[in-house]
Amino acid sequence: MGTLLNSLTTELRRGTLTLAVLSQLRTPQYGYSLVQLLENSSITIDQSTLYPLLRRLEKQGLVTSSWDTSEGRPRKYYVLSEFGLEIFTQLKEEWLKNSRELYELLKGEEDE
Amino acid sequence: MNLIDVYIQEVTRRLPEKNREDIALELRSTIEDMLPDRYSEQDVQSVLQKMGNPVSLASGYRDQPMHLIGPRYFDVYVSLLKMILPIAAVVAFISVIAEYISGVNGEEAIINVILDIIGFGIWRILEVAIQTFFWLTVVFAILERVDKDKDNQPLSTALTKWTPDDLKNITYIPKKKAISKFEVFFGLLWTSIWAALYFYANQLIGIYEGGEDGLTLVAPVFNQEILLQYWPLAAALLAFELALTLYKFIKGQWTKRLAIVNAIYELTATVILSIILLTPNILTPEFADYKTGFEHLDTWLIPMVIIIFAVFAVSNGIDGFRKARSTVKS
Repeated sequence: MGTLLNSLTTELRRGTLTLAVLSQLRTPQYGYSLVQLLENSSITIDQSTLYPLLRRLEKQGLVTSSWDTSEGRPRKYYVLSEFGLEIFTQLKEEWLKNSRELYELLKGEEDE
Repeated sequence: MNLIDVYIQEVTRRLPEKNREDIALELRSTIEDMLPDRYSEQDVQSVLQKMGNPVSLASGYRDQPMHLIGPRYFDVYVSLLKMILPIAAVVAFISVIAEYISGVNGEEAIINVILDIIGFGIWRILEVAIQTFFWLTVVFAILERVDKDKDNQPLSTALTKWTPDDLKNITYIPKKKAISKFEVFFGLLWTSIWAALYFYANQLIGIYEGGEDGLTLVAPVFNQEILLQYWPLAAALLAFELALTLYKFIKGQWTKRLAIVNAIYELTATVILSIILLTPNILTPEFADYKTGFEHLDTWLIPMVIIIFAVFAVSNGIDGFRKARSTVKS
């Protein structure tokens, strides 16, 4: 029972991860700072999912990256591209619409 | 030994060369970010625990799938296997038979040759099946990796997306009227068996005695010369039967026309068998003399064989019509 619920919850969350990551990249972030930002909003993300996800977003042209070597430790910063910002805005709209609809659906269930 | 170095190596060795350095650098900086300023091995372990299994991290970086053949190709793969494997097996077996027949010098007992053919045939079929399976799998594993389309929808056999139009190429066959592949296969097998028995009757059908060099034929049953007088009839029946089996295979279901042809075939076969068996002196004197009581065998054995054959022929003929009619109703 518990494991089934777990896997269903993971499945539910998986789709929203991209949106969560994109939302935090309007300002440049490096890997760990992004993890902390997300964790502050109590969004847990598997690290082995996050780093490959960032690379994929870069490949798709949604984010750009640059190495910052001015500090002691070199860090790779990611930030939304113009195209990424556009997609993010639309994706956000889509999500809000979906969650409103789902909310209505679930509320209707409770009223019955 | 530095656990961080090993961890990074475990990830990057699974990645394409060109990305390795960049990813290694990023991973190291991330891992160091997560560690406190002064850290123990315990800290390193807990951070690496959070980073997760290097295999899954690497597979996340790679675009390649972690399966050999995914849902997109699996159905086509299985259908092709089912289609190609039996064909390859049959071709392999036929090639073994052809090899042996061209190599027979007439001295060995045919029964020993047949046992040889079966043994080698099974061996060759296994060999060919494994080869077919291997190469088809390799082709699909490559396809899976070359195809950049991330759509997970299964493809049709023509390697295109499914549309309702695909249904038009499939004939709807109710279970009752269907002709199974086994039926076709055993039809072909039966044809080849009786053809071999007919043309090599003096070397195959008879009384065998076990000796030092395997089984030897001591008394053939049929007089081959008389038997072969009828070879045009036998050849015609052979051609008819092959055509009928092929027709069944193509149609895949019983129809009224098929039932009629089938009935004609059964009738022809019975008539030809009767003509051949009722010829005087069809049995050899060796066979008749083999044991006392065999002399008068032809007076009752031959009519009995013909009657049994006729009963089966009639029942097969009627069965064809019954199956064809059950389709009309539904």
